[in-house]
Amino acid sequence: MVSLRRLFALSSVAFLAVLAVSPVKNSMRPYRAIQKEYERIGMARATTLKAAQAYASNPIAIRQIWIPDFDNRVDRCTTCHLGVSDDAMTNAPEPFTRHPETVHTPKDFARFGCTSCHGGEGLATFEADAHGRTADAPSPVLPAAYTEAGCGRCHLGDFVSDAPVLSNGRALMEQSGCFACHAARGHEDFRSDAPPLDTIAVKTGGEWLRQWLSNPKGVDPNATMPNFRLSRQEIDELSNYLFSRPVTPELQRAVEAAAAEPPGNAANGKTLFAESRCITCHTVGGKGNGSAPELGTIASRATRGWLIAFLRDPHAFNPQTRMPRYGFSDTDVRDIVAWFEDDLRDFNAPKSILDPLRVNQTLAERGEKLFKTAGCFACHIKTTKETERFGPDLYGIGDRRAVSLDFGKRTDLPRTLEAWLDAKINQPRSFATGLKMPTFSFDPEQRRAIVTALLAMPAKPVPEALRVSTPRQASLVPAGTIGAIVARYRCLSCHQIGTEGGDISTAPLTFEGSKVNRDWLASYLQLPYSIRPILPERMPVLKIPAEDAAKLADAIETWYVDPSIPDDPFAGRPASDRDAAEGQRLYTTLGCRSCHIIGNNGGYYGPPLTDTKTRLKSGWVFRFLLNPQRWRADIRCPNYGLTDSDALRLTAYLETLSSHKETRR
Amino acid sequence: MSNIHLVESNDPLATPWHVALIRPDQRPSARESEERYVTAFPHLIVREVILFQLVVIALSLTAIFFDAPLESIANPVETPNPAKAPWYFLGLQELLHYFPPVVAGVLLPGLVVIALLVIPYARINLEAGPLWNAEWRWKFAIITSIVAALTILFAAFQCWPVVIPTMLIGSAALASKRGRPRWLWEVTLPEWIMTWFVVVATTLTLIGTFFRGPGWSWVWPWTAVPRA
Amino acid sequence: MTAGEWIRTTSVYRSVIRHGVEPTNRNRSLIIFENLFLHVHPVKVREKTLRFTHTFWLGAITTASTIILFVTGILLMFYYHPSVPQAYRDMKELQYVVDNGVFLRNLHRWAAHLMVISAFLHMLRVFYHRAYRPPRQFNWVIGVTLLIITLGLSYTGYLLPWDQLAFWGVSVGTNMVKQAPLIGEKIRFFLLGGNIVSENALLRFYVLHCVVLPVVLIFLLSVHIWRVRKDGGVQGPPEHDPSPEGNSFDSLLPAGREKGLTGGGDSSS
Repeated sequence: MVSLRRLFALSSVAFLAVLAVSPVKNSMRPYRAIQKEYERIGMARATTLKAAQAYASNPIAIRQIWIPDFDNRVDRCTTCHLGVSDDAMTNAPEPFTRHPETVHTPKDFARFGCTSCHGGEGLATFEADAHGRTADAPSPVLPAAYTEAGCGRCHLGDFVSDAPVLSNGRALMEQSGCFACHAARGHEDFRSDAPPLDTIAVKTGGEWLRQWLSNPKGVDPNATMPNFRLSRQEIDELSNYLFSRPVTPELQRAVEAAAAEPPGNAANGKTLFAESRCITCHTVGGKGNGSAPELGTIASRATRGWLIAFLRDPHAFNPQTRMPRYGFSDTDVRDIVAWFEDDLRDFNAPKSILDPLRVNQTLAERGEKLFKTAGCFACHIKTTKETERFGPDLYGIGDRRAVSLDFGKRTDLPRTLEAWLDAKINQPRSFATGLKMPTFSFDPEQRRAIVTALLAMPAKPVPEALRVSTPRQASLVPAGTIGAIVARYRCLSCHQIGTEGGDISTAPLTFEGSKVNRDWLASYLQLPYSIRPILPERMPVLKIPAEDAAKLADAIETWYVDPSIPDDPFAGRPASDRDAAEGQRLYTTLGCRSCHIIGNNGGYYGPPLTDTKTRLKSGWVFRFLLNPQRWRADIRCPNYGLTDSDALRLTAYLETLSSHKETRR
Repeated sequence: MSNIHLVESNDPLATPWHVALIRPDQRPSARESEERYVTAFPHLIVREVILFQLVVIALSLTAIFFDAPLESIANPVETPNPAKAPWYFLGLQELLHYFPPVVAGVLLPGLVVIALLVIPYARINLEAGPLWNAEWRWKFAIITSIVAALTILFAAFQCWPVVIPTMLIGSAALASKRGRPRWLWEVTLPEWIMTWFVVVATTLTLIGTFFRGPGWSWVWPWTAVPRA
Repeated sequence: MTAGEWIRTTSVYRSVIRHGVEPTNRNRSLIIFENLFLHVHPVKVREKTLRFTHTFWLGAITTASTIILFVTGILLMFYYHPSVPQAYRDMKELQYVVDNGVFLRNLHRWAAHLMVISAFLHMLRVFYHRAYRPPRQFNWVIGVTLLIITLGLSYTGYLLPWDQLAFWGVSVGTNMVKQAPLIGEKIRFFLLGGNIVSENALLRFYVLHCVVLPVVLIFLLSVHIWRVRKDGGVQGPPEHDPSPEGNSFDSLLPAGREKGLTGGGDSSS
């Protein structure tokens, strides 16, 4: 038996030793060694003694960025990532590298911290915890491929400059109709532009519908409808249901009447088709814009009667369609469809491809149920109240913790949120049996963009003061006659007016009245020609009658103006500013010829300037020359930093250019 | 008894040297033994200090090698599955699986606490001799019927973690009647009851801690998956 | 004269420490009863109570863990805000920033578990040694109360980290309380300061855990230890059978005194 004294001595020593372990461990924390390493590297890279001493005199301590107004954020990343704002640390080994130069870095670290863009646990001072690699981690660091998701948490608009992946992702989600099934913040009133299915019975045949339902993209590469992986049985049921739906009587009459009409002149139709520039939106044989269906086999897709009736008035068949209502005459339409029947048909399709389906009532009833349970209604029926969305909502999906996700059968995936999302978009039904999300066919880049957009949806929005969103402007399109004309010709399918409209045209119309001369505009609307030869898309010849064109030109001249653009830029300026000869000299010196044509020589990159006086207003030209990027940030005309006088002289010169012909073909 | 005085005075100044209270039916007793006394300092005090140091050492070693758990921040919307009480209440939570909450959460714990508090005042605890000291047959019958009643009662609720220890300890109690081994025969009734209680409580707590998984379903500890 | 010896001659030293260092019985006695804390002990104790198997030192282990909990608890209080969500952040701060934060928290947690276990084992030891018999009955009652307070301390402390484990553990527990007839709902409302586990519950549990229950614990623990002393010291394995009626003063008479009733190792202070 050990004597009491000896035992006491032993236990006292062990007592002190054990209590000393924690302080010793403390002094060996990893960040201390890392900071010493930084000091060493900094001193080696320093070019002056003072700089080297600055590195040496840095205390070894935890560093943090504390932003009380931004969710009381504390980011201690800079405890190890010491060189992020240090210019001397460019290309230093990690973790000391200087942060790459972007819009917000490295100048805005104190405003936003690190975790607001990159994720991760800001409070942590150990690598695994900080990077969110522990079980129970609230938010792991985003892989570099998805960094732009961080931008999207503050920048809520659909298009975010300097964040191309994010913008692409958001555009893809909008186009693919994700929000028709999945509710998301900011997209609660999303309406899919999928066509209504009311006229299927007179539009197409059972065989074609079966082909379509089994693989939409196989039939039409431009299709945005995803593949629902329907079984043969399900396709039968759905087809029967769709063919059993009653057709609106007026439409039925129109189709049947059109079917009875005599055939048209196919050669004429071909010419009309080319003039109408349908491939500005459609494709034929893969050539064209692709935002509207492929027409290469259109005659095997829809019946003659339906095509004629549709072309005469697309809006009666689908009020939501982006297709304008051309000013075709009745024979024009017959001719075009005759050409379709001759050339744009699937020559390998069976003759019965457009034969209507004989409806089996039992199958049709089952099809009606399937229409709901498979989710077709989400896009093809127009009332999607939030409570009736088909799929789970996406609120806060960017902050879902990986441990709370169900990976099901996909044991091959790394257990991260981004891997789950990517796999879900790629093969939605691979996680378990009985899942209903259809298969889209995105390539890896598109998937990356969509996952980025999803990761930008936070559980809790950032504080109000930090949010950047394009406010939704009220529509600038008036009601009444003008509004009806704009609606009929679907200007907004291609052009932008204010914050609405499409981007097929590079010319926004918001200030068009300040830009172009009214008479030129009226004649252009009747017969558009190619202003910028280098662009593939051309404004279609919509056959706008003269009086509609006049009304439109007047409306644009009156309303779509920029009040800051002077009517007469030369007013109140000295006479020397009107020197067109000097302007011509400037034109040569600045090298405008390399992109612009006047007469017979010059470059094709920008619009030809031969007709400037006829087309453009001087006030606009003047303002443009002072700052070409004023209306669109991506305009390629360089900003030469011209003085007002120089710009006026150039304007004076350009205003002498006119081709004497009012219209050109 | 020359040094015993009878004091009948209430005078506070009359300070007695020794006080003896003699009950009418007893004689003051004297016991002989050879008990040794040692000074508290150093013998007791140093032992206490060493014990304190050993406790600190043991706990510090545990603290150095094992971290206290910390899960994600409390989220009222996200219920973990299973949601478990602290370990000392897991026995109760296991009992909740078999009995309605009034019984398992209020009645049984309440009864246990009352039973504990009453222990020093119950005659049976103060007087207890070995269980089979006397009245064998009567005791045998009572004990058998109580054990059987408990077993049937708990089995009716399918509460096997109580049934099995009850049967085991009940049989041991009945078997101890044989007289061998001696130490088993010497166990008193209150000790049997307490042992039964401790074994049942430990069983319930162990099951609640290690053998219960999502949805309070039975899991084998070595196959359990860490919960969300 | 060594430095130590010189220090011991100064008046400052002698005003604080009133005993010498020579190993005399007088000094040993003085150390005990000149000291506020130590004089809960008797100057002399029965040698057999010092053996490990006498009580397995369980009461002392429980007290030791209590002391550790108080010290680590107060240190933790310097870093903890009982508000939501700051409480959880403070847990993270302890882990990432505070020097020895992890050790402090771990020590507190494991000491708490040890206290519950050793209190329970101590109760069992007392029971199996029948040390609840007169005159120690009320001390047993106090002991059971202490056990319940220990569980209460553990339970209120369990909520303070405000993580999923804490929140749902307490939710489950308070839902059980709700089942008590008549007063169940009211008790739950009182405990939580509301109808759900929320910031109010956290604050309440914090006050209970750091102020109310520790004060009650110290109070009752003092009475408990005092009573052990007054009842004649710790009683280990029952040495002899008491008389049938349980003479309440039987055990007061220490074994081994001569007749004459002179108290041996129990000089009243």
